[in-house]
Amino acid sequence: MSERAGGSYMVAAQPATDGPVQRRARRFAQLLAGLMVALIGLLGASATSSADEFAIRALVKEQRRTDTGKTDNQPVAGVGVVVLDASGAEVGRGVTDAKGAAVIPVPAKADYTIRVDESTLPSGAELSGPAEQQVTADSFTVSTKTVSFFIGESQREETSGVDRVAQRIADGIRLGLIIAMCSVGLSLIFGTTGLTNFAHGEMVTFGALVAYFLNDAGLHIVVAAPIAVLAGGLLGFAADRFGFSRFRARGVGLISQMVITLGLSIAAKNFFLWRFGGRDRPYLNYTNQVGVKIGPVTITPRDLIVTVLALIVLVVVAMTLQYTRLGKATRAVSDNADLASSTGIDSGKIIRIIWIAAGALAALGGIFRGLDEQVAWDMGTSLLFLMFAGITLGGLGSAYGALVGGFVVGLLVETSTLLGVPTELKVVPALFILILILLVRPQGILGRSQRVG
Amino acid sequence: MDLGGVLEATILQFIGFNACYYAIAAIGLNVQFGYAGLLNFGQAAFMAAGAYGVGQTAMVFGISLWWGVLIGVGYSVLLGLLMGIPTLRLRADYLAIVTIAAAEIVRLVVRSVWARDAFGGTDGLKGFANTYQEVGQKLGLQSAGEYGFWIFTFSGRSLWNLIVGWTLVAFFGTIVWLLMRSPWGRVLKAIREDEDAVRSLGKNVFSYKMQALILGGVIGSFAGMLLAVGNANVQPDNFSRDLTFFVLTGLVLGGVAKVTGSIVGPMLFWAIYAFLDNLLRELIDRPVRIGDFTIIQSTDIGAVVFMVMGTMLVLLMVYRPQGLFGNRKEMAFDGR
Repeated sequence: MSERAGGSYMVAAQPATDGPVQRRARRFAQLLAGLMVALIGLLGASATSSADEFAIRALVKEQRRTDTGKTDNQPVAGVGVVVLDASGAEVGRGVTDAKGAAVIPVPAKADYTIRVDESTLPSGAELSGPAEQQVTADSFTVSTKTVSFFIGESQREETSGVDRVAQRIADGIRLGLIIAMCSVGLSLIFGTTGLTNFAHGEMVTFGALVAYFLNDAGLHIVVAAPIAVLAGGLLGFAADRFGFSRFRARGVGLISQMVITLGLSIAAKNFFLWRFGGRDRPYLNYTNQVGVKIGPVTITPRDLIVTVLALIVLVVVAMTLQYTRLGKATRAVSDNADLASSTGIDSGKIIRIIWIAAGALAALGGIFRGLDEQVAWDMGTSLLFLMFAGITLGGLGSAYGALVGGFVVGLLVETSTLLGVPTELKVVPALFILILILLVRPQGILGRSQRVG
Repeated sequence: MDLGGVLEATILQFIGFNACYYAIAAIGLNVQFGYAGLLNFGQAAFMAAGAYGVGQTAMVFGISLWWGVLIGVGYSVLLGLLMGIPTLRLRADYLAIVTIAAAEIVRLVVRSVWARDAFGGTDGLKGFANTYQEVGQKLGLQSAGEYGFWIFTFSGRSLWNLIVGWTLVAFFGTIVWLLMRSPWGRVLKAIREDEDAVRSLGKNVFSYKMQALILGGVIGSFAGMLLAVGNANVQPDNFSRDLTFFVLTGLVLGGVAKVTGSIVGPMLFWAIYAFLDNLLRELIDRPVRIGDFTIIQSTDIGAVVFMVMGTMLVLLMVYRPQGLFGNRKEMAFDGR
């Protein structure tokens, strides 16, 4: 790849005091160290939690009988669980995630009452046992005590098929919008620089975690979210300014850069695991909402607002790309960087802006995902595959393709269970689509129909 | 502080079983990534193919363990075809995305309740490795016995694993070394450098790439088989995404497109891992805190060590992409 116009001056403008290699090495090391310190400061500011704290892990599962007569427990997400202490005062509450688990930290080994909020159970479902269970101090053999609740033989089948389809479609739309939001940046970075960024998932997690720590420190999520989005933008800026723009200028091969993103992904993920811990945790606000029925769909106000906000953001992104000078320049660089440079567009600057936008959008997507499910140290990595499926489906490098492809993939993941795909495998059809699309139409739905090979 | 203990653990990991099956996987990955320039980010799936091939013999099919080698190779060839057919005609990064996605599909399917009858779900598969251990016992290595000298003292079972493992490493290392000196290997390297030039000489580039992908995958599946018989079980979570990335880190550390690099790299990877891990465990025997803020405690060490390993991969690629033994020119290829 030829050197980008915006990147080469950085090397040329250095005073020649010592060898360029040592100087760059020193500077890079300083920057890396500085970045690490900044990150630790940012993420660690309020991380008082640690693994030797105690917690109660409530599992909510639906017992089903398969055709072969075996019982098959499916996790139930979105059920509110409250923990009360011996005097009946509330210790904490949580909402079950996709694994059916809600982890609620408790101050010490003591007697607690765990109560399931029955109004948050899926419509038509009833607990097969009591809604309250007691645990005693002695029963904490490890720091986390697990308590299971089971929903009996589901009566959900009685709710009409249309309702189930509508519910899954509503969930799918929400996931699709989040994936679309996360993957626009990934696709544009690919389109402009040719780089497949395997650390993009960690940018998603980063946003969600920054918002979590600010939230945990006492800021309302509505305040914490914009700050986290800003931090995501800064991260994108830093990644380009101190990392990838230099690699481009130095002529580091694309494949080496790709391996670099793998390394960054491993490093960042484990950093998150270190500072955040392995438990899934919810944001403190809007946790225990009761669903509102809109037509055939039951949705919590929080999820509704997330859906609407995500839609607005994506429309704004699309409009910006379509009508503003910046958007047009972005698409031009993405189409053909050399040609765009020759018409006077500063492609280095455009790439920088794309990185910033990618970081900010990924962070926002992460926060929305955290609100929708829970915050986890590896939440972005699990979305990364769906993002790849989305942008491949839409056409690698095309911004609109990423929007459309990401949306379709999200919808597909959530609705695949209607066609008999087991819940634990619901992402598999999306990944198969990825392979099929490459076989049939490698340029994707909206990709350029030129030579790709 | 017990620095001797740290060094001992480091040396043992340098020649240990982990380094051994990583080395086999890296030799395979090197055929694809180093020599042919194919971005296989799903080597874990090939390893899983081998491991589940031997694992299924006892519990699923009820046949002798040795058929498992054939089954494992069969699975990995199938997997190679599945990944290769849609992508090898396209640009290099498509293969990267498909391999990483295919590895995830494999992992999700083998650990699912849905396919538990075939793959054992999250419990994995057991009870197939007796035949393998009996061979070791026939050669005089008692499972409970102690063999070796000084710090190199192993139980009969681990010594048998090491003997089989390093024999396989030597075998595949030699095969790949010989292959890459052959005309076939030169075509492969030429494809890495300039595909169109090779095509203009009338070579079937697609076919060569496919052969490299499958050969590397089959070698990778032997790493999985070794892991399975060595541990006497197959666990789905052994074959996570990170496995591929760590094998790749080992390979890059040693130097791509060099057989010695693909063997010594993973050994060094595990030595560095063991050194950092044991050193930190010695240093941090109680939580380090400033006021209420916990900086690090013993349960964080795993994550911190892997964070350092990830950073190491980044720094290596930036400052020494050729690793220890590699040639910088052979790492300069560009996916476009």
